Formats: sequence, C-alpha cells, structure tokens
Amino acid sequence: MASMMQPQIILLKEGTDTSQGKAQLVSNINACTAVADVVRTTLGPRGMDKLIHDANGSVTISNDGATIMKLLDIVHPAAKILVDIAKSQDSEVGDGTTTVVLLAAEFLREAKPFIEDGVHPQNLIRSYRIACNLAIDKVKGLATSIEGKSLEEKKSLLSKCAQTTLNSKLIGGEKEFFATMVVNAVIAIGTDDRLNMIGIKKVPGGNMRDSFLVDGVAFKKTFSYAGFEQQPKKFLNPKILLLNIELELKSEKENAEIRLSDPSQYQSIVDAEWNIIYEKLDKCVQSGAKVVLSRLAIGDLATQYFADRDIFCAGRVAEEDLQRVAAATGGTVQTTVNNVIDEVLGTCEVFEEKQVGNERFNIFSGCPSGRTATIVLRGGADQFIEEAERSLHDAIMIVRRALKNSTVVAGGGAIDMEISRYLRQHARSISGKSQLFINSYAKALEIIPRQLCDNAGFDATDVLNKLRQKHAHASGEGAPYGVDINTGGIADSFANFVWEPAINAINAATEAACLVLSVDETVKNPKSESAQGDAAMMGGRGRGGAMRGGRGRGMRRR
Amino acid sequence: MALAFDEYGRPFIIIKEQEQKTRLRGLDAQKANISAGRSVARILRTSLGPKGMDKMLSSPDGDVTITNDGATILEQMDVDNQIAKLMVELSRSQDYEIGDGTTGVVVMAGSLLEQAEKLLERGIHPIRIAEGYELASRIAVEHLERIAHKFEFGENNIESLVQTCMTTLSSKIVNRCKRKLAEISVKAVLAVADLERKDVNLDLIKVDGKVGGKLEDTELIYGIVVDKDMSHPQMPKQIQDANIAILTCPFEPPKPKTKHKVDIDTVEKFETLRKQEQQYFDDMVQKCKDVGATLVICQWGFDDEANHLLMHRNLPAVRWVGGVELELIAIATGGRIVPRFQELTAEKLGKAGLVREKSFGTTKDRMLYIEHCANSRAVTIFIRGGNKMMIEETKRSIHDALCVARNLIRNNSIVYGGGSAEIACSIAVEAAADRYPGVEQYAIRAFADALDAIPMALAENSGLQPIETLSAVKSQQIKVT
Repeated sequence: MASMMQPQIILLKEGTDTSQGKAQLVSNINACTAVADVVRTTLGPRGMDKLIHDANGSVTISNDGATIMKLLDIVHPAAKILVDIAKSQDSEVGDGTTTVVLLAAEFLREAKPFIEDGVHPQNLIRSYRIACNLAIDKVKGLATSIEGKSLEEKKSLLSKCAQTTLNSKLIGGEKEFFATMVVNAVIAIGTDDRLNMIGIKKVPGGNMRDSFLVDGVAFKKTFSYAGFEQQPKKFLNPKILLLNIELELKSEKENAEIRLSDPSQYQSIVDAEWNIIYEKLDKCVQSGAKVVLSRLAIGDLATQYFADRDIFCAGRVAEEDLQRVAAATGGTVQTTVNNVIDEVLGTCEVFEEKQVGNERFNIFSGCPSGRTATIVLRGGADQFIEEAERSLHDAIMIVRRALKNSTVVAGGGAIDMEISRYLRQHARSISGKSQLFINSYAKALEIIPRQLCDNAGFDATDVLNKLRQKHAHASGEGAPYGVDINTGGIADSFANFVWEPAINAINAATEAACLVLSVDETVKNPKSESAQGDAAMMGGRGRGGAMRGGRGRGMRRR
Repeated sequence: MALAFDEYGRPFIIIKEQEQKTRLRGLDAQKANISAGRSVARILRTSLGPKGMDKMLSSPDGDVTITNDGATILEQMDVDNQIAKLMVELSRSQDYEIGDGTTGVVVMAGSLLEQAEKLLERGIHPIRIAEGYELASRIAVEHLERIAHKFEFGENNIESLVQTCMTTLSSKIVNRCKRKLAEISVKAVLAVADLERKDVNLDLIKVDGKVGGKLEDTELIYGIVVDKDMSHPQMPKQIQDANIAILTCPFEPPKPKTKHKVDIDTVEKFETLRKQEQQYFDDMVQKCKDVGATLVICQWGFDDEANHLLMHRNLPAVRWVGGVELELIAIATGGRIVPRFQELTAEKLGKAGLVREKSFGTTKDRMLYIEHCANSRAVTIFIRGGNKMMIEETKRSIHDALCVARNLIRNNSIVYGGGSAEIACSIAVEAAADRYPGVEQYAIRAFADALDAIPMALAENSGLQPIETLSAVKSQQIKVT
C-alpha cells in the first residue's frame, strides 16, 4: 500500500470512472445475468409476455427477446453487449433472440466461479471456443435435410418449423392457420432475398382468424378527391400504370413569373397550363392502362378525368407499396408519361377495392410474377396486432432460413441436451483444465430445457434427469428427445414436429460470452452535463478509493 | 428492476434512470391488470341491453355527450391505464368491424378476466388459462354456427332485416320509434348495396341531422340533402326535372397557377381587361345555358357580379358545396364532376326529379333537397330531434343499425339475442369441458361461467333477479334441446 503515500497522478479527466481487474469482470457478469433474468420467463411456448410502458405512454406487449431488450433502454456497457447480440440474432436469424441472451448469460454464470478462483479468462475463452466449434459440428451432424422433397412435403415440413416458432407467441393458439399463411407467403416470394416483398398490413377489428393472405399486393385506400367514388372499383386483367409524377394542375416552375402586357394574352397562358396537364392525362389514357397509381399526388382534376374514362387511380401510394406492386405485376415505375409502352405496364388477374374492417383496401391478386405476398392481419387491439406482426416476422425468417439451409433439428431443448451430452463425453478425453471448462459449457447448455420446464411450471430437475437418461443411450435413439410442455414429461420432439432450422444461437452466444470475459477494464467518461458533474466528481473520488482497495486485494490474491 | 450488486456491495446501474422505472412482475402484475380491465367493464355493464342506462360524458371543453354506445363512452372517457386502454381498443375494433355490440364485447372481456383471476389464485399457470379460453372460444363459435339461422331477403322482403335492426335499436335512446328507424336504415343500406358482390359502401349513405322537429320526422331521402341554399334569395325555390351542372371551378376569370403579372399602362388596356372579365362571366353562364343546365352546383364561390348575372339569366346556383357532398350529388344524379367550363357537355349533367329548398320552423335555416334522382345509389338519412345531443345519439344508433344491416347482407345468418345465444354457448362449452384432460378443463369451465355474464347483466339492468332468471332460462334451454 505504499502507493497510497505518493501524490496521486492524474491521468484521466476528473470524474472519469475507471474500474478494472477481476472485480470488474465479475460485476460485468452479474450485470449480464441480471439482464437475462428479465427475458428469462419469456422463453418457450409457456413463456409469459411483458408489457412495457414507455415515457411517451405507448405500450408494447411482447415476448420477443430482442424487442424487450431494445425497449429496456439498457446503459450498462457489458449488459449492452447482450442487447446487441439479441438484435443481431433478430436481424440475422429472426428468431431465438431470447435463447441467445439466456445462453450467453448462462455461459458467463458458469464462468464466474472459475474467474473468482483465479483462472485466467483467456483460458476460459479458448475452451469455450473449442466447445462451440464442437457443438456446431455436432448440430450439423444431427440435422435432417429436407432437400429433394416434393413441394407439398416441403410445405408441410416448413409449416412445422413455423409452428414451433409461433408456439411461444401470443398467436400460438392459431399457429396452424398462421404457419400455413407464412409458408405460402415465403414460397411465393421464392428464394429472393428481398424480404420487403412480403407486406404485412395491420387492420384492427375482427379476430385473428379473419387475417388473410393476398397473393399479390394490398394497401389501404389512399387519400382521394371528389370523383373517386365514380371510378370503377373492380377490374379483371387490367393494365396497371405506375408513376412517380404529380398529376395535378400546378405552377410549372416555382420561381417563374409571367409578365403580360396585353390582357388578351391572358387566356392563352391559362390554356397552356391546362394543356400541359391534359396532355399528361391523355397519355395515361392512351397507354391503355385501367389502373393508374402514383407515388405523388393525383389531384382532383385528374381524378375526375379518370372517372370520366372508367379508369381507377390512386395517388400518394407509399413507396414500398408501389415497389411491391411493380414487382408483383411486372410493371416498372415511370417518371414520365411520355413513351409509355406496353412493356412497362403491369397486370394482374383481379384488381378490386374491398372493405376490410373499417378501411377500404386496394387489392391486386393473381399477379403473374407472383413474387410478392401481403398478409393482412386482423385482431382485437393494436398492441395485439403489433405483437402478431413481430411473431409473423420471426416465423417468416425461420421459414426462409429453413428453405435456404434445407435442414432442420429437433427443438424443445432436445438439440441442446444432445450437444450437452456430447460435450461432456468429449471433455473426458481432455487432460488439463480445459476439461472443467468444457464441462461447465455443457452444463450451461442445459439452461434451455431447464427454463422451458420452469416457465411451464414443471419440476425442472425431474424432467432434466429424464432427458439426461434418454440422451445417454449409447444407440443415439434418445437424441431427439426434448421437453414435452403438454404433459410435463419428455417426448420425441422430432416425432412431435417441434422443429427448428439447423442454425443455432450457440455461436452468437459464445461470441458474446467470450467478449464479456475478455474485458477487464472499463473507462467511463463523465457525463458532459455540468449539472451531473458534481455528483460524478463526488462519486468518482469515492469510487477511486474503493477501486484502489479492490485492485489491491485482487493483486494480493494472485 | 431488482438492484444488482457486485462483489463489494456496490449497486450498479443497468438500465437508464433505473430508480425512476417501476417494474411489476408475477401474480401482482396480473392482478393489477385484471382489476383495471374489470373496472372498465364495470362502468359499461349497466349500459348493456334495452333497459341499459345511458352515460353522460362531459368533455374538457364543456361538450356534453349522452350515449349508451360502449365504443363512444370509452372513447370519451380518456382512460390512462394501459390495460384499460386495451379494452377501449377492443371496443373500438368491434365498432369498426361489426359496428354494434361494443358494450357486450367489453362486458364479456371483463367477465373473462374476473374468472381468470379466480383460476390464477388457485395457482393455474396463466398461459394454460389462455389456452383453455382459446379452446373454449372455438367451441362456442362452432356452436354458434350450429344454432344460427339463415333467412332469405330481397328488395321487397325486408321484414327480417328490419326485425334484426330493431333489436339493435331497442337498446338505444331512440327505441320509441325503432320500427321507423330500422326501416329507414334497412332501406338505405339496400339502396346502396351491391347485392351480387355483397358489398356495402357506407360512405354512400349520408347521415345528417338538424335540431328541431321531433324524432318521428326523421326521413330517408333517395337523394342528397345539403346544408346550403341558393346563392341569390330571388332564385326559384323549387326546380322540377333539374339538369344539374356539377362544377369544381370557380365562377371567375381563370388564373394561371404560375406567378403572373399583368402590366397595365394605358386606360385602353384597363378597359379591355375589364371587358374581358365581363366577357368571361357571360361566356360561363352562356355555356351552362347552352348545354341545358337548369341548376349549377359549384364547389367554389362566386362574387356578387357573377351571382347577379346568374340571377339575371335565370340560372339558379348553389355555391361552396364541399367535395364529399359534391361527389355524393354526382353519384346520386348520375352526373359527372366537371373541372372546367370548356368540358361541360349535356351528357355530363346530373338529373334529379325535384330540387327544392326547404326551410325549417321559424328559423331562417334552409336546406337543399335533391330528390328523385336518376340513380339512387346515394341516399341521405335526415334526422330531426329536440336537441343536439339527441341527434348525435340518434346518428350513432343509426350507424349501428346500418352496420347490422350491412353485416346481414354480407352474411345472412343470425342468432337470437336477449342472451339466449350466450346461454346456449355456455351450456355447450360447459358440456364440452369435461372431455378435455389437463388444466385447460378448468379454464374452459370458467369460460362457460363468464358467458353467463351477458344474460346476467341484461337481467340485472332490467330489474330482474339475475340468478333466478338465468337459471330459469338455462334449465328451459336444456329441457328443450
């Protein structure tokens, strides 16, 4: 403690919070576990939802890990890593966000006693990485391929996958209904990577069962001017013209000014302006299109002009809807009405304006290229539909992954149990410390079935032991056994169609755990607000003292 | 958030402004939510049914609404609690989708929550309750389909439609002339309905009201009523077989949209400009005359000069008619909206058998009736009533009745009201419950109990003994089936 006597060397700005060493590592781990505790109960089909009510008064009900984590507004630097992996899992895989957070936290929890006992974190990290690679190889080995099956078979397989995802969501009660819908939508867009080709429209009212899938595009009636109701509302095989220009009587140039010296010229100017718009409208009609859509406004003049000629028009169509119409009908969006040739016009079997709930919808169905799909979601309350949308998003992602990878594994914690068993077995062949670490990694994996049981209100220890026994069968026939949430026992997940695509949260979770483990110092700059400066300084000084003590102790122990 | 502590007992902050955030979890959270949902339901409970009471709501700026429409009450209550908001939305979505039953849906939800609370207290896992409820609701819906009756209706056979609308109206303040209002609603819906496509666009039914007269004076007009009068007091008040020019351009010299300036430096030029302007007015009126228009309806205004000229040339006109009304007039009269005088042709004129201006009582208010139209695809329901609140409530009631009629056109099956459908479902669900193994059985049974809430509330609101009445009805139903 000689250093205490020396004058303090000021290295960092006053108020800067530094913490380092083993204590820091342990506290990071604690923070991560605390965060994981929040989402813990949302895992699985019996998981509970969270209602999050933010400062603006908006309410979100969700059991999607990523959504909850995002809304929690976490500031702790280490805990933020968990939020990030949840987010990245969401954007990469779409589902399993809760799983990844839980796994990462569990890996850290298992690592904690070792850290406290003075194991160097890098040792742990190395072993975790090895275990992770082994696990991934094992998953690949266990995966069942759905390649080469007929479309019908594939559909039913994919729908099983989607059902497993939807199981844990609010709309779990109607999972077959939605799974079929999702699978049809995904198959409709094909292997294209453009997920925005699946539109999800939300209309409050009715019940879940009133949701429907349009094999084309649907969007809400846009703002319309007088004369709109006189346009025909249904066409068979119409030609569709897509525009990105205004069809409105307006000044051609903002900064132009016309000077007239002869009042008799007045009329000619007015006529010239009218002619411009009439020419545009005439060209639209000439093209033979029966439906005219524009991203920009279609004014009252144009509306009435089209109504006169039995053409349907809609202005201010949202960009993404217009893109979707373009993709679905095979048309291209035009920025001028000159030279509109037949090739740029789209078409579809039926165009119709229909009442959905309280809204009127424009529906294009039976599109030739069929590369788009729109799901119209119905439900009692806004929050409900929001959550349903998130759930469908997850399901869509999963189905797409399964379609791409063409492999599935058994869910319900079965795959985690099997890897766990495999790693334990493997650990025995290792001499040295690594054996311990891989063992604890294997133990951490058991959190998934354990949490599934806990959430469903079963005796986790009992179920887990049953599972271990099954998986320990040398023949390997016990591999697909997972938690049966209906009876509280165990069941063959594979036979019960609880399937997941063969991609796993394990890799992401291990990465995150290793990242947290490799940090041993945090430097936090003081807040820039002067109001908090005082508090930060006080705290800084206080903490400084404690810190030194902490570090000292840490050194002694080593 | 439970505070997390590190090894040395120092708390560390995980969530931003941790101390200010509250977190409620577990059974407490569920109970708090349930009690919020129930209290909303309790408010509406007394409004259910024909003998239900009305609520008077006074908004912050002093507007008073009297209604017993669930959606309206909840909308105006401005609830703050999150769960209560969910109930409000539930009611609103019922309003959007069905248009009626907004009170019933909330009372039912409240009763389901009440039952769920009991189950939670017994330690049943909430998700299992939810699953049980879902199963039960499927059973109930299936049963409803079984007991539903289909009936035929046509243009001339509207009795059954009227009867159903009367059921809706009987719970409203207007129930003393429900027969009349129901007939009006059904006729209006049938007038605009597309029976082949089974589509009804309610936008084509204009519901308008004016204070004065009595409820019995409410009428259905096969045409449009606009709250406007002729632009000049000396214009004729009644036009037979009117040919209507529907214009969206003003009666004034056209202006280019681009910025412009007219340089006038001599007296001659000024004279020509003036003459030209007059010429414009003259031309415009002449054009209308030429195509045979006997009435001009204009979206914009026109100045006194034009007004005088129109009067002089004996061409009645109406100015400042809103876009939506203009559209309805165009639909009703089969005319086309004309954006420019040059485009005016005889074919684009709308035809109406009778256009008349009607004044009300001693007030100077006048309204324009456009009746006996060529195409009666747009109709107006014109409500009269003693005061504004009454008219607003009548509008809401008519809306409900219109929605009911529309739903019947879409799907012509009905179940019987007065709580009988709920009791039938309750019996069916109760019977089905025993077939389910597992915890769900309890939830299903609770669902059946919850269904009883509707007939109970009906009985209670009517001053009957709820339990006695319910059990009498139930036993009767079981006996008959």
